[in-house]
Amino acid sequence: MFLGTVRFISKGWVQQLYIDPSYYFGYLGFEWVKPLEGQLMYIPFILLLISALCIIVGLFYRASALTFSLCFTYIELLDKSNYLNHYYFVSLMALIMLFLPANRNFSFDAKIWPKIKSITTKQWTVSLIKFQLAMVYIFAGIAKVNSDWLIQANPLKIWLQAHHNIPLVGSLMQEDWLAYTFSWAGCIYDLFIVFFLLSNRCRPIAYLFVVFFHLATWYLFPIGVFPWVMIFSTLIFFSAQFHERVLDFFSRKTWRENPVKPKRLSSLRKKQTRYLLTLYIIIQLLLPFRYVLYPGDLFWNEEGFRFSWRVMLMHKEGHATFYMVDPKTGRESEINNSKFLTRTQEDQMATQPDMILQYAQILKNYHHGKTFHYGDQKITVENPEIRAKIYVSLNGRPAQLFVDKKHDLTKLNYNLYHRTWLEPFKK
Amino acid sequence: MNFKRTNAIYLSLALLLLLSFSCKDPDEIKPAFNKGTLLTNVANTIIAPAFNDFESDLSSLEASFIALKTSPNQANLDAVKADWKAAYIQWQLVKIFDFGPLRDNGFKGATGTYPTDSNQVNSNILNGGYNLGSIDNTDAIGFSALDFLLYRTNALADFSSNPNYTQYASDLIQKMKTEFALVNGQWINYKPTFIAATGTETTSAFSLLVNEFNRDYELTKNAKLGIPIGVQSLGIQLPEYIEARNSGLSLELLQESMRALRIVYLGNNPNSGQGFYDYLVHLERSTLAVEIDTKFSQIINNIEAFNGTLEEEMGSNVNGLEELYYLIQEQVVNIKTDMTSAFGVLITYQDNDGD
Repeated sequence: MFLGTVRFISKGWVQQLYIDPSYYFGYLGFEWVKPLEGQLMYIPFILLLISALCIIVGLFYRASALTFSLCFTYIELLDKSNYLNHYYFVSLMALIMLFLPANRNFSFDAKIWPKIKSITTKQWTVSLIKFQLAMVYIFAGIAKVNSDWLIQANPLKIWLQAHHNIPLVGSLMQEDWLAYTFSWAGCIYDLFIVFFLLSNRCRPIAYLFVVFFHLATWYLFPIGVFPWVMIFSTLIFFSAQFHERVLDFFSRKTWRENPVKPKRLSSLRKKQTRYLLTLYIIIQLLLPFRYVLYPGDLFWNEEGFRFSWRVMLMHKEGHATFYMVDPKTGRESEINNSKFLTRTQEDQMATQPDMILQYAQILKNYHHGKTFHYGDQKITVENPEIRAKIYVSLNGRPAQLFVDKKHDLTKLNYNLYHRTWLEPFKK
Repeated sequence: MNFKRTNAIYLSLALLLLLSFSCKDPDEIKPAFNKGTLLTNVANTIIAPAFNDFESDLSSLEASFIALKTSPNQANLDAVKADWKAAYIQWQLVKIFDFGPLRDNGFKGATGTYPTDSNQVNSNILNGGYNLGSIDNTDAIGFSALDFLLYRTNALADFSSNPNYTQYASDLIQKMKTEFALVNGQWINYKPTFIAATGTETTSAFSLLVNEFNRDYELTKNAKLGIPIGVQSLGIQLPEYIEARNSGLSLELLQESMRALRIVYLGNNPNSGQGFYDYLVHLERSTLAVEIDTKFSQIINNIEAFNGTLEEEMGSNVNGLEELYYLIQEQVVNIKTDMTSAFGVLITYQDNDGD
């Protein structure tokens, strides 16, 4: 994560994503989370760097884990245009790590306070991480069981053909059978890899698959650090003996000395831990399935799409033209989106219904009560209507009308109910 | 382990079998397509000639302006106007390629920004000591500022008697000429990089080309037509935003811009060179490929039907202009949404960190 943050800062993304934009798309219920003024926005990123380093070397572990978790989650909550499944994964892992005793050995903490040193850890801590990884894989696999992915081999067909110029295997990339193979293999891999990783016999081979799979996706798709996170995280499935052997190889084999007997937890603490764990696991199990509560096409409506491990699953491209209508005169203005949003925000907004409504509110607030001077004419706009004509193309299909101009978007509420104002999806 | 391995082999065999059933007839072979060939074609048969022509157009403009400076008369002024117009029209094609050297040198903004701030131009002429590269002068340079200087009613009188006025126009032409010579020189070194960058990352040449193609299309739609006819201003016309208002060249520039975009779309020549059109056909999206081309023809023909300048038509033919605007707008969904999603190119300038 240290390297990920360095990469993020060095690419100038802090400036681009959290300082340059004039408006931000907060999450429902978290709209109060706002970015810091100007260059101050670098502070949480620097804190991330420091806390990540501290976690690695095991210095002031709890404080560092708390700082890391808070900063990372804070940054993610600022703008959903930047939502990525793997950021969500990191947020969750950071939260989990906050409760884990990962500073009990090989850490500065254990040197400073030798009392906490322990060479064993409780089974639940390891299992929880395994559970979280299993969630990622299995839900990603379940999400792939849909007709576009398996029958049309889309969006992989679109994504793979674009690589027809890579050396050696380039010409294969235009072959339909390859897209089908990748689609099916990817789906089967995601669904079952965890079970193979859990089995002692298959683990080494399964891990080879993990490495191969993530390296391939890293090479073919613009998915940043995610493959590396997964490659290293899945090592948790290996036995304690395996990790100990690796550690022996690197250290001078002295780490096993002075083991302190782990303290027994009081029965109250145990109970609390159990309830919290159960609650967390239930939430994680149910959240990705919330989409079944909504009618209509999930990819089209995107109701219950985020936080569900739908990784690299669809290719959506949209074009949104917004109109500000003055209710008094009936006159309308086409909106120049680039005046309000960054390119990334505009792209994300054009295909995501909740962001469309948020943007309509931004536009309404901007225009309400403003007086516009055009030549010698003067018009004051009160309570403008905001309408939009939006076309979206899903997985390479010809674009269809997504939002009709007939709706005044400012009259629609942003909530978790089913959205009836979207045009239905036609296969 | 053995047991598992045999299982895996059976599974893959079953998969292969399944796939071979779903495969189409082998004689249904797609036409060969290669993004490298497309980029080579665009670089060699569109960009390089367009850049060379534009460079020589600017040289002609420089030469005819020297003639005007030496002997200011109507014939020489007309010659300058003709060369200015030829270069301005060629610019409509050149401006699409706003990446590599053109982008690095900030040439597009310095050349094609309009409308001109005539107060700034006048104050520069009056006070002298201007720095044309400074940000304050972005609206006082380029083709549009020359439109103002060359087409004013008393332009000839000023060229005859006001050396500062003549010097300013001369400096504008010199700036464009020198800077573009630099761009064109650098392009020769950049070309191999451009041709080789066939990847899908947002910085690859192919993505840049698709992105700039779309950006130029939308800019043309908004700036050359939409804003002046009042699309963004509650339906109130804004004649002061008309491009090349003094010369009345605006509709012609709009038409040339559409022609230029179509040339890039087709890969120069519909029958030989590879362009976006051919890529779409290859991807079995012939309907879309043809639709985009047809729409370009419709737009170009539609503009042909206007007899007056944009300003005149804004007075007499508001409905006609609105129809033209909607026609141009319909194409945006075709090229920005359908075409780019078929190509698997992201419409964005930002590299990103994954999904």
